[in-house]
Amino acid sequence: MSTKAPIAVGDLDLFSDEVLVDPYPTYTALRETAAVVHLPVNDVYALTRYDVIRDALADTETFSSASIGFNPMVNEALQGTSLASDPPVHTQLRATLSANLTPRSLRGLKGQIEEKADALVAELVESGSFEAIDALGRVFPIQVVADLIGFTDEIRATMLRWGQAAMEVIGPMNQRTAENFPVAGELYAWCSQVSADDLAPGSVGRSIFEAEARGEIPPNTAGHIIHQYLGAGVDTTVAAIGNIVALFGQHPDQLALIRKDHALVGSAFNEVLRYWAPVHAWGRRVTRDVEIDGALVPAGSQVAILFGAGNRDPRHYDAPDTFDVTRNPVDHLSFGYGPHGCAGQGLARLEAHAIIGSLATRVERLVVGEARRVPSNITRSIDALPVLEVVPA
Amino acid sequence: MRIELDRPRCEGHGLCEEEAPALLHLDDEGELVLDRDEVAEGTPEAAAASAAVRVCPVAALRLA
Repeated sequence: MSTKAPIAVGDLDLFSDEVLVDPYPTYTALRETAAVVHLPVNDVYALTRYDVIRDALADTETFSSASIGFNPMVNEALQGTSLASDPPVHTQLRATLSANLTPRSLRGLKGQIEEKADALVAELVESGSFEAIDALGRVFPIQVVADLIGFTDEIRATMLRWGQAAMEVIGPMNQRTAENFPVAGELYAWCSQVSADDLAPGSVGRSIFEAEARGEIPPNTAGHIIHQYLGAGVDTTVAAIGNIVALFGQHPDQLALIRKDHALVGSAFNEVLRYWAPVHAWGRRVTRDVEIDGALVPAGSQVAILFGAGNRDPRHYDAPDTFDVTRNPVDHLSFGYGPHGCAGQGLARLEAHAIIGSLATRVERLVVGEARRVPSNITRSIDALPVLEVVPA
Repeated sequence: MRIELDRPRCEGHGLCEEEAPALLHLDDEGELVLDRDEVAEGTPEAAAASAAVRVCPVAALRLA
């Protein structure tokens, strides 16, 4: 076989502060180097182009989820979850996890979520200026997920910290990961002992325990499901909603287009996700020697999927560095794709469409200050964003 | 060409319906219904079917 080894980029740390805060120049350089590049510093093979990423996500036999994280401790801790398993085991775990998350089970929530979003946006518009991440990006998904699962006020107060830590520890064993393991451990410990009585009557959280009591799902899985709702559903959605406000602030012409045509709400959310992927890197383990775009990745290698690099691949999207809410990139990679495609994407869409719809109804223009970003291993989000002035509609 | 649905994998995201409303739809329960499962190659229906397959976020649809 004449296949060559992937090109190595010797000095790059994918998880350095500089790359995490602004990964797009690195994504461009890697993507133009090759579809797969070897990064010896991180001991990973990074997938950089749209087609190879989508193909890898679809091929669960070659690209195993046994190693979605970049350190052995987190992969060990995630064993037995749908996130970290492969078909056929994955199929049942996924069905159990998503039973209450599919669009068909969430249909009844649409109206409530829209009401919550609109009340929040109306209040912020009224105030004239606000801090977008705390007052909207964080508050709203936490409220939605907490109401859905039925959390008490005490748990609501820790959801953000737990959700951030659960994502952070998926990174390589750097200082951020080490510091966050104890916090992720608190979340895990709480989910291991939570019971139906801790959750509000009538909530989805309680119904999961009731399903467990009826034997519809295996014993001791209810806590794990709640763990995944919290671990995966908070930090990523916080990032996406913060990005909506920041991008609408930076591109008033794009907000104006949605204001004129509300049918663009869904397209606009797809474009926000394409333009700034909430998840920086996600792992897979290669189960056999595999040729990717003419380069051989050996069996057993750790892969890093760079969703944000694929989303800006000019081989797939015209003018990929332009933020264009009319583009409707419905096949963007930010939710992943295939059997492991984001289980919460239906809920994320409900939340984001509600926020975008309310902003487009109530806001003429947002004058935003400088966004502050803090490096974080997996979730790329804005940490603070002042909205200096709201010009109401 | 035949549109095939992996029913257990379908979660009702409904993106396929936006691409090919003449071929499939979500019913009142949010279950996907294939209104037509055969499309002739090279026709606009085949293009719509192919787009529907492509946008399924969980890869529950395929063309055979």
